[in-house]
Amino acid sequence: MSGMITVEEAEEVVALPPEQPSLPPGEWIRKNLFSSIGNGVLTVLFALLLVFAFRGLVNFAFENPERDWDAVRANLRLYMTFAYPLDQYVRVWVSLGIVLSLSGLSAGLWSPDGYVSARRISTWFLGGGAVLLAAALAVQGQLQRDENGEFLIDEDLELIRGSWASGLGSRISWFALAAILIGAGAAIWFGLGDRRRNTFVRTVNLTYAGFGVIVGSLWVVRYGHYNGSPAEGTHYADPDSLVAMSTRLPWTVMWVLLGVSYFVGKAVRGWPLLKPLALTFWGLLPFFVFWVVLRDPDIDWAHVWTTDLPMYLAFAVIGGAVLFTLTNPSLGEIGRALAFVLLLVAVFTFVGGFFGWFSMLQKARLSFVFLAAFALVANNFAGEFAKRRTFVIGWLLTLGVMHYFVTLINSASTLNIRSDSFLGGFMFTIFAAVFGLMFSFPLGVLLALARTSSLPIFRLLATTFIEVVRGIPFITVLFFFSIMLPLFLPEGMEVAEHGAVIVGLVLFSSAYLAENVRGGLQSVRRGQYEAADATGLTTAQRTGLIVLPQALRVSIPPLVGQTISSYKETSLFAIVGIFDFLRIANNVVPNQSSPINFVGHKREGLLFVSLIYWIGSYAMSKYSQKLEKKLGVGSR
Amino acid sequence: MTDAMTLHASSTAEMIVCDAVDKWYGDFQALKGVSATIAEREVVVVLGPSGSGKSTWIRCINRLEAHQGGRIVVDGVELTNDTRNIEKIRSEVGMVFQQFNLFPHLTVLDNITLAPRWVRKVPKADAEAKAMELLETVGIPEQAEKFPGQLSGGQQQRVAIARALAMEPRVMLFDEPTSALDPEMIKEVLDVMKGLARSGMTMIVVTHEMGFAREVADRIIFMESGEIVEVGTPEHFFTNPTEDRTKLFLSQIL
Amino acid sequence: MGEQRVTSTSTLASTQATKPPWYRDTTIVKWFAQVAALVLVVGALAFLAIVGGDNLEAKDIATDFDFLNINQGFDISEGIDSDPDTGGRALWVGIVNTLRLAVAGMFVATILGVLIGVARLSQNWMVNKAASAYIETLRNIPVIVQIFIYAAVLGGLGRLTADSDFLWGLGYISAKGVSLPRVFVADGFYQWAVFLVIGSVVGFFVHRNRVRLQESTGRITYPNLWALGVLTAFAIVGWFAHPMWGFLSGVFGSIGDAWDSIPQILMQLLLSALVVFSAASWIRRFLDSKRTPAGLAKLTDDDIFRIIFAGVGGVIGLLFLMVLWPGLSSWIVNSGSDFWHFLADKFGDGRSGQPVDAMMPTIEGEGTLLKYGPQGLTMTVGFAAMFLGVTLYTAAFIAEIVRGGILAVPKGQSEAASAIGLNRAQSLRQVILPQAFRVSLPPLGNQYLNLTKNTSLGIAVGYADVVSIGNTLLNQSGKALSVIALWMLFYLACSLSISVVVNWFNVRMKIVER
Ligand SMILES: Nc1ncnc2c1ncn2[C@@H]1O[C@H](COP(=O)(O)OP(=O)(O)OP(=O)(O)O)[C@@H](O)[C@H]1O
Ligand SMILES: [Mg+2]
Repeated sequence: MSGMITVEEAEEVVALPPEQPSLPPGEWIRKNLFSSIGNGVLTVLFALLLVFAFRGLVNFAFENPERDWDAVRANLRLYMTFAYPLDQYVRVWVSLGIVLSLSGLSAGLWSPDGYVSARRISTWFLGGGAVLLAAALAVQGQLQRDENGEFLIDEDLELIRGSWASGLGSRISWFALAAILIGAGAAIWFGLGDRRRNTFVRTVNLTYAGFGVIVGSLWVVRYGHYNGSPAEGTHYADPDSLVAMSTRLPWTVMWVLLGVSYFVGKAVRGWPLLKPLALTFWGLLPFFVFWVVLRDPDIDWAHVWTTDLPMYLAFAVIGGAVLFTLTNPSLGEIGRALAFVLLLVAVFTFVGGFFGWFSMLQKARLSFVFLAAFALVANNFAGEFAKRRTFVIGWLLTLGVMHYFVTLINSASTLNIRSDSFLGGFMFTIFAAVFGLMFSFPLGVLLALARTSSLPIFRLLATTFIEVVRGIPFITVLFFFSIMLPLFLPEGMEVAEHGAVIVGLVLFSSAYLAENVRGGLQSVRRGQYEAADATGLTTAQRTGLIVLPQALRVSIPPLVGQTISSYKETSLFAIVGIFDFLRIANNVVPNQSSPINFVGHKREGLLFVSLIYWIGSYAMSKYSQKLEKKLGVGSR
Repeated sequence: MTDAMTLHASSTAEMIVCDAVDKWYGDFQALKGVSATIAEREVVVVLGPSGSGKSTWIRCINRLEAHQGGRIVVDGVELTNDTRNIEKIRSEVGMVFQQFNLFPHLTVLDNITLAPRWVRKVPKADAEAKAMELLETVGIPEQAEKFPGQLSGGQQQRVAIARALAMEPRVMLFDEPTSALDPEMIKEVLDVMKGLARSGMTMIVVTHEMGFAREVADRIIFMESGEIVEVGTPEHFFTNPTEDRTKLFLSQIL
Repeated sequence: MGEQRVTSTSTLASTQATKPPWYRDTTIVKWFAQVAALVLVVGALAFLAIVGGDNLEAKDIATDFDFLNINQGFDISEGIDSDPDTGGRALWVGIVNTLRLAVAGMFVATILGVLIGVARLSQNWMVNKAASAYIETLRNIPVIVQIFIYAAVLGGLGRLTADSDFLWGLGYISAKGVSLPRVFVADGFYQWAVFLVIGSVVGFFVHRNRVRLQESTGRITYPNLWALGVLTAFAIVGWFAHPMWGFLSGVFGSIGDAWDSIPQILMQLLLSALVVFSAASWIRRFLDSKRTPAGLAKLTDDDIFRIIFAGVGGVIGLLFLMVLWPGLSSWIVNSGSDFWHFLADKFGDGRSGQPVDAMMPTIEGEGTLLKYGPQGLTMTVGFAAMFLGVTLYTAAFIAEIVRGGILAVPKGQSEAASAIGLNRAQSLRQVILPQAFRVSLPPLGNQYLNLTKNTSLGIAVGYADVVSIGNTLLNQSGKALSVIALWMLFYLACSLSISVVVNWFNVRMKIVER
């Protein structure tokens, strides 16, 4: 199937250096397995170990009267999106569609030039087929049942099994799939002959083809059909049919979307500004998907016309004018004084609110904070008219985006369930990981800068925070935030438990990120600081233009490592009562008695969860290794 | 050389005045009452054994190090804690380092235009035009789009000179600009420096290149253990130095 | 260009160095920013504390540590005490459980990790792949998921019945866990411990002497054996002779009484004097260090700020001791006397029994409600799941560290080792691993830290660790802040101890290197 596609495409690219030929099989075995007697014994021992481990795993997962993989299959939606209302489910698909389109677009824009040789592809097929074949052969004899379908037991209360051969029959489909894989692998291997080593396929195309094969199989393979809502008594379970149309069709659309957006991206590659734009969209995407698409805010338009819009305009115009003035190159100290006054005003809006001197919309406070932040950096953007104009436009856009989101966050959700209980499952894991990273990264960089700063009080504050946070387990941080955060917030401010644990995650991982960034900062040589100073850059410019770009480049691999940790760390949410992925597997499904009885079926869910976590973090760790090689960090 | 470099050629005022400058590193006194006056358009070469405080002195002149006693005035601006003065002097005094210290993550062009754009607020196009002009002057216009890591040492040092010149400094400080270079590259850098000297730039050069000192220097300052031991014209210095310590030093290196 | 110009200060003489206005003075701006940040942080924390205090008061939750002294009346499934008298005792049981898990985990994880790490570098394809399969599988699955899996699998062990015994009747195994003979500290232990301490000291000197002897004469003197022998001799003699230390009880008792009679104000003054003295001596030392040839006139503004901060710190310390928390002093007095009285009790009358004792595990209850009796050392399924989880998970990371460490040893080292005739195992053991250890030590310390922190997940499978018991206390008393503070204190103490040990090793290795 996909083998054909890859071979055709492979013809395009032959400019890469061919892979090294491998040793002939006999020699390879002698060299790597039986180079000495001791080695031979080791080989046999470990081979046995591997075989037993593999057999144990396969039998644990599939050959057991207690296993019922329907506990996972029938609950896939629960696992992925928890209790998201069914009648609004299209929102989930739209979210996924947006993410995939943007991915495709970015892939087209950046056109990553990774290649895989036909030989590697062929070995993947062969290896996958071999593993599957082995798993099929690892089958145990079928358990014997009486005419009522009850398992038979002998006098020692052990279950009675048939012969090994009797079990093989139940694995026909496995053998078939293994045969297809091995056949495809062999076809590439022998079909291309010696050319297999210098025929290459773009990784992008290969991934897309793989995705296509999986989506295509939804239309062909009978995975089983589980649908309906238990509450309405419309549950439907048919293990021998195609998956529901409501799953099949959207995934196909997703696949097409991905492909189309990739080609669009490729077509508009040369256009200016597209890359920064795409990056900005990536930054805004989580907010948009979360608060707009999934939550469907019920906007109070009257309020928008009477309050929100006028407020935006006021801040936009007055703030814009102030910032335009502040970017006047001949302003000097007056500019700094003005920026400082604005900062005081911003702080004052919070302090005044706290002591009840006046009340003010949260949005207005935030606007003051944003204005102060812009004012503080304004002198860096001073210059000719065009530069100042760009700066002011940046202000208008930032302010607009901020007001937009705050308005949406403040309005009620149309979803007919409690405000945040739609949050859960793998979807929440992803959101938590992404939001966690987005907020902890800047915080971590700030902490790292403070910790390496020459100013002792900054250093002291940052070091204390980092070391305390790194010294305590994440679970205590989570308890703290899920129990204590609500108690520490002033009147009128509330935070859902989901928010509280994300705050915990952000603070926790920022401490670790800070240490990684600090490593990068220390690798920037003193001469770089001196050269920046000698050319007259300010401290902020030196940090932003010279030091951080170099430091972050060095810290990318550890930062990816930290991302993996945070991703794994989200599994602890299950302990503090969030209905995440793991909690569904460990606590929800094993207690389900209707519409299908899955009571006690914990291990299937746990294995499934492990697999999903494994795929995510394994992929990321491979990516980080690749980056490390590419950046040559290890060798420096 | 370009017009920009000869702009300030009119007066012969004192450009740098150091008066009894002291500098401690902890208990160690690296500069002991260093006093010197350098006129506009003057080229001064600083000589002295290793650890004598040459680098420390010129690093004090653009405030990479803060001096603790005495006074330093550059172009009428005194170096104090005043941020405004520091900013002014930093953008008026260019510095070239022994280790080049180019920014490895930026192209040659970006290295040169960075400071003019962010400090002097020069529009991008103007800054780039000027940068190309400077690259022309130092003889490597074709390397503009490369990254520093792709250049030879001599080319890197010439980019570093161009980077310093891009801020249109009134004074250039050189701290052993050729010490990290292979012999065949030293000449190309020295040629650029000679051109700069001829164009009327005020320069303080720490170097061990005696040929350069003899040919270009208006004056030579000899330092030892944080003090200025002897000052004089090249002929005076190389033919009949008055101080014993100078004689000893010269006998060791010549 | 005359020579005379060099010393000319004509321009300077006529002018005075101008002092910049405060807002342009780098030093002032710098310190201003720092103080502002400090005020901001402290202000924000104070703000949160005020709000939190109000909210807690509104909900009628007090933040104190009373619950530590009150009987909370709950049972603990495993540990040194299954029915603790007080909340504090319960927490202590949890702490011991955590430490037991952490120490056992570190030990096994290290051995396993080193083995796998070495296997990962094996030339043998099969061994190599087996090791990397282990590493890549285990480190990419969250540890909590693994713990859940082990718990689910172990939960499938058989039910507890009268014949669940194993190891020839020495213990029991079932879905309720493993119960083994328990060795415990009995009456005479503390007296016996005195013998052990003396034995160690004597052993240490004997060891040193034997080493010297070996160095001077070249004879092999078995220093380790000798030291061990001395210790054993003391232990054996002590086993019978330990009641002789009974008189110490009186000594400890009178020290405790003396301690008791220290008035609180005296302790307060003592501590204050300590604070004042350390602030003053810091300032003095600082000024001394600035006594350069140019004298104190060379103090920079930075230095003046530093001195001011030291002074302010001292004043805050005084304020803290005298006004904010005078209880601290009486607490120190009380716990000091408690300590001595505790010792007096342990050495007191009727404490002349055997130092240690052992008991066989038992089963209690009837019919289907069997459970392990308190006599045996019971390790629940929760412990096993936690132990497997954190150990196997950490071993994967340790393996990667060991591998990195070995790869960091230059290739020439192993070539040199084989050139002087060592075989592969010898060169690994004598040449490569010691060097790799040096590189791996800091990341290894991090892994020990992570392991210790991961033991906090016991709550997920019902293992009675400090977090799990703390959580029970929290739910019973509602004193969340106190419990969380105790957790943080405990784990910070653990982290600190681990980093101290690792640093100590690190420094030692570095010295050896020189
Ligand atoms: N950051 C510092 N901390 C402590 N001492 C320093 C520092 N920088 C320089 N010194 C000391 O100050 C003295 C003068 O150093 P400087 O670098 O100015 O010498 P130099 O004349 O430039 O020598 P070279 O020819 O080797 O470059 C040396 O003794 C040096 O050890
Ligand atoms: Mg020097």
